[in-house]
Amino acid sequence: MSGADGLALATRGLRKSYGPRRALDGLDLSVPTGVVYGFLGPNGAGKTTTMRVLTGLIHPDGGTVEILGRPFRRGDRRRLFEVGALVESPSFYPYLSGRANLRELGASGAKVPAGRIEELLGVVGLSDRAGDKVEDYSLGMRQRLGIAAALLSDPQLLLLDEPANGLDPAGMVAIRDTLRALAAQGKTVFVSSHLLAEVQVMADVVGIIAAGKLVREGQLKDLLAMEALVKVRVQPDQVTAAIAALTALAPAEPLAESDREAGWLAVHLPAERAAEVSKTLAAVGIYVLGMESGTDLEMLFLELTGGSSAADDEGKFVGLGTNGSPSGKGTVA
Amino acid sequence: MRLFLSGLRKLSRRLATWVTFGLLVGLVVLIVLAVGGAVNGGVGAGNGPAATVRIQTMKEFVTFPQAYDRMLDFVLRFGGLLALLYGAAIAGSEWGWGTLKSAVARGESRVGYMLTSFASIAALIAVGLVLAYVIALVAAVVGANIAGVSTSGLNDSATIGQIPLALVRVWFSVLEEAALGFTIATLARSQLAGIGVGIAFYFGESFAGLLLPDFVQYMPFAAANAAANLSVSTPTTTDAATTAALPADQALVLVAVWLVGALLVASVFSDRAEIAG
Repeated sequence: MSGADGLALATRGLRKSYGPRRALDGLDLSVPTGVVYGFLGPNGAGKTTTMRVLTGLIHPDGGTVEILGRPFRRGDRRRLFEVGALVESPSFYPYLSGRANLRELGASGAKVPAGRIEELLGVVGLSDRAGDKVEDYSLGMRQRLGIAAALLSDPQLLLLDEPANGLDPAGMVAIRDTLRALAAQGKTVFVSSHLLAEVQVMADVVGIIAAGKLVREGQLKDLLAMEALVKVRVQPDQVTAAIAALTALAPAEPLAESDREAGWLAVHLPAERAAEVSKTLAAVGIYVLGMESGTDLEMLFLELTGGSSAADDEGKFVGLGTNGSPSGKGTVA
Repeated sequence: MRLFLSGLRKLSRRLATWVTFGLLVGLVVLIVLAVGGAVNGGVGAGNGPAATVRIQTMKEFVTFPQAYDRMLDFVLRFGGLLALLYGAAIAGSEWGWGTLKSAVARGESRVGYMLTSFASIAALIAVGLVLAYVIALVAAVVGANIAGVSTSGLNDSATIGQIPLALVRVWFSVLEEAALGFTIATLARSQLAGIGVGIAFYFGESFAGLLLPDFVQYMPFAAANAAANLSVSTPTTTDAATTAALPADQALVLVAVWLVGALLVASVFSDRAEIAG
């Protein structure tokens, strides 16, 4: 089920403050039906607050939410019968087994179809350990059980907060395939994540928020096409000169520097213009040490969110301010 | 109903349930058997009126039909404290483990979930109290044999006939104490904080009772004790020593007010709370 506008989930002007701090500042999300939607944002951008609002755990100060085409207000808890959610860390009774936890969770909310628990334990690869107490589960196993719990009532809309947390590579691939399969069945999967590479291979649509506002939303392939990049590596001591030369090549687009110590720069140009980059740098006596072309969700994310990002946490990007000095910003004009 | 049954399943598998029951039963059996041994050996008897009262009081623990009262009183007082802690542990863990969050995110009513959880606690407490009382009576019979006291009053039909109603009143009173623990832990959103504050409240009220008995008789624990203070057997020496307390029926009304009030506070708080973590 979806709204007349084909949206499984929509927020309009969503606002939420914690004391003087605005966590959500007029958030507008439009999540189409039947897609995997990647919900991205730096730490503290409002992702978790959004998830809490969408699952009725907290109430917004203002704005509206529509779930599966119908308003979701305080008191409309039954709307969540068609929603499965994994919000923050998965929560279970530690003294019960995985199977028993699913059974007891299934006693709340929408009814669980017969045989569903065993089916889901198989889907998340926990059949062999379903009888063990959850307190003996690893982080990844708890995460798998949390995903099974979210799928318990065969929901039309799935809200997952960092579903890949603690999963090993095989587990990540399995979950990705599961989520893609759900979307192929017409269900909508809303995934909040800081694993940009994971989102890039999984999502159809992405929404990026910063400071509680939506800064970009759209089909992932369209956004990436707009953000085509040529990445080039030069000697670190030639970075400043390279920036000057390349800014002249693409003056209308911001030029980003990634990993200054290694000498990587990124220019907003389509891949077919990569040769021009090499030629421009050679003309000023700078010889390219390495070159990549294509698109990068990480770069897009950094540009839109100002660079104080989850990617920073991983140490991949160090940005420069407009004067070329380290500033924590991801772009230079 | 499925939420209630789920609550029973969860509680029956929880270690805290069995530890609480074990503590209650273990302590009552231990004390009654020790009293039986002490009476038999004349321990602490000494001389003088005080010693006579003391040995008489000890004998009542193992002398029927007075033992029916003493065991009921023991189950009420120690069971009440344990129920307070148990209620706090159950409610606090729903917040601490995040299981309330999971249920709410599935569209479950917060108030319904909390009240159903408490209903499950109430049902288990009823079963636990009856079992503990039966075990306590068996221990009293054994204690009587150890003490060399006659058990001829065991079949006192007048006393036995009053026991079901007395047990219901004890259950209701203990339930009020469990509700207080439940509510305190809900407000604190924590098992440990709920248990800690609950214990402080319990002993704080007892201490205040020494200084302000006229005021404290309206407080929840004093009211609970007074509400269940039905002598099912004939009045005994210790009954006369009871300090300021409300009449049982008046106290019962007060217990109902405290019980409903506590659950109301827990419900309103749960309904309005911002759930995170």
